Amino acid sequence: MSELTLLVLRLAFLLVLWGFIFLVVYSLRSDLFGQPVRRQAVATDAGAAPFAAASTPAPSVAPVQRPSSPVSSLPDNTRPAATASSARRLVITSGAKEGLELPLSNLPLTIGRSAESGLVIRDDYTSTHHARLMILNDAWVIQDLDSTNGTFLDGRRVVVPTQVPLNTPIKIGTTSFELRR
Amino acid sequence: MSAATSRPGTADRSTVTETIKLRLRAPARLRNLELLLLIFAGAIGTGALVLVQLGALGAVDSTVISFGAGVLGLSLVMHIALRFVAVEADPFILPIATLLNGLGIAMIYRIDIAQGQLGWEASGLRQMAWTAIAMAAALAVLIAIRNHRVLQRYRYIAMFVGIGLLLLPLIPGVGREINGAQVWIGIGPQREDGSVPLSFQPGELAKIALAVFFAGYLVTARDSLSLVGRKFLGMRFPRVRDLGPILIIWLASMGVLVFQRDLGTSLLYFGLFLVMIYVATGRLSWVLLGLSMFVGGAILASQILGYVGNRFNGWLDAFNDDIYNQAGGSYQLVQGIFGMAGGGLIGTGLGQGRPDIVPFADSDFIIASLGEELGLTGLFAILALFLLFVSRGFRIGFAGQDDFGRLLGVGLSFVIALQVFIVIGGITRVIPLTGLTTPFMAAGGSSLLANWIIAALLLRLSDTVRNQPRLVVES
Repeated sequence: MSELTLLVLRLAFLLVLWGFIFLVVYSLRSDLFGQPVRRQAVATDAGAAPFAAASTPAPSVAPVQRPSSPVSSLPDNTRPAATASSARRLVITSGAKEGLELPLSNLPLTIGRSAESGLVIRDDYTSTHHARLMILNDAWVIQDLDSTNGTFLDGRRVVVPTQVPLNTPIKIGTTSFELRR
Repeated sequence: MSAATSRPGTADRSTVTETIKLRLRAPARLRNLELLLLIFAGAIGTGALVLVQLGALGAVDSTVISFGAGVLGLSLVMHIALRFVAVEADPFILPIATLLNGLGIAMIYRIDIAQGQLGWEASGLRQMAWTAIAMAAALAVLIAIRNHRVLQRYRYIAMFVGIGLLLLPLIPGVGREINGAQVWIGIGPQREDGSVPLSFQPGELAKIALAVFFAGYLVTARDSLSLVGRKFLGMRFPRVRDLGPILIIWLASMGVLVFQRDLGTSLLYFGLFLVMIYVATGRLSWVLLGLSMFVGGAILASQILGYVGNRFNGWLDAFNDDIYNQAGGSYQLVQGIFGMAGGGLIGTGLGQGRPDIVPFADSDFIIASLGEELGLTGLFAILALFLLFVSRGFRIGFAGQDDFGRLLGVGLSFVIALQVFIVIGGITRVIPLTGLTTPFMAAGGSSLLANWIIAALLLRLSDTVRNQPRLVVES
């Protein structure tokens, strides 16, 4: 075995080693740069226009928050809160998949464009990790995960984790959904 | 994707509501990617063995190569099992672990050749046997634990198992002192040179049990650990009565430092607890508190305990002639640095360096050996592999649905990261040298077993994370 062959083999080994690493990183690219945005071919019907519902009460009028409390609730406490036992399903009320529903377990549900989310919403307005629905003290709570375009509960932007009443629309991008019995 | 079937609605007949029957995403896309990477990793590992023989012996001996390739081929068995028991598991963990393990086997075999150990007692063959055992154990864990949440139920048992494993080497008759550290248990009579026929480091397995316990405990206790306390210097410090757990862990790790004379293990357990409490509570004050406690204890120990003081001197003043020549001085560290310097940018080539000059070149100092023969380029490739492995673990923790799973994922991957930092930091003189094994690479069955079990738990966690009801809305 000549010196030259060994030199070539040893350089080739290092190249192959790095080739493996780049193959892994290439397969991970959606993790590093976020899920690719898919352009909408044509604008959907007027009802699904972004922020159509959210514009009624302006998002700038943020709900009065109590910063000391980790969980906030809507100002009108008339509607029954969605508890682990009362809310059984999540129903999509507007958007591309209007009418579909998802059975709720008592585990948290992540919402976002990432393929690992429980509810994957792929449109131009949804962040990779957008929001999370979870049970806190036996009540369903929605938490915005610092999304770019915001999560709207009954037209108000969610700033702190907020309790979700039953039959109240939550809007993310062009999709709205409610928790129902 | 998901198949929708309409439900003959009872109350909702008027609406257009349908129930989604959610099924697994049909083709195992992740598993096919894993198979591709796994074949690649196995080929690199076998190629490393061939290069070692070409470089050191000048000829190819097909027996050892077929053993090595066979052991790496066992990961294919694991891959096939994953297709049945964890279809949605992370596709990168198994190939990366296999590649690291294969590179480790090649380097241990290379040092066997240099030391003229070629029989059945050679460390390279033992490492191959241990790899097979460790992979079988990982497979058993994957099959036995179908949902990681069952581990939460056994958190207090995990605590007792962890502490028991830590204390086991201190029991007279069972414990063995090897190279100054009382962290081994041995079966059979001790030989002249201090080795025993079968020795095991139970502390390696204790780190898994402790990670399970910390995760289970912190899920229940984190509210009292994070919400109360008084503000000082812009940080919320915990109440005195909430300091109990951190004090117990601190005492335990100081006990390891004093009675088992093992700085690295002690740092590993304490660091694991600190990171998990930080992730669970989000309070920086815990990290500051814990770090100052540990640094205080370590400085005190370096003054009182001779061996810790020696390690500090060998670190700060390694090239001093007196310390270099002193027994227990910096000879090993400096020889490792010389080796890596000799390797340079692209290394001397596998089988063509002199890594065997360094004591423990195949276990504690395997990174120095690899640095010599693969050079800076190869060493950075190995670090990148560890980085990818750990980042996958953190990603699994981040995407987790339940708090226990999140904490466990972060804890298990951080323990690998910290161990890599302690070992490689010690060898490259970033921190004082401590005796720990490089995960997946260093010669030693207990370390291999523990790290493959960690890989299996991460695979299981990633499968449960992805395997949840999903609904895809695409506009």
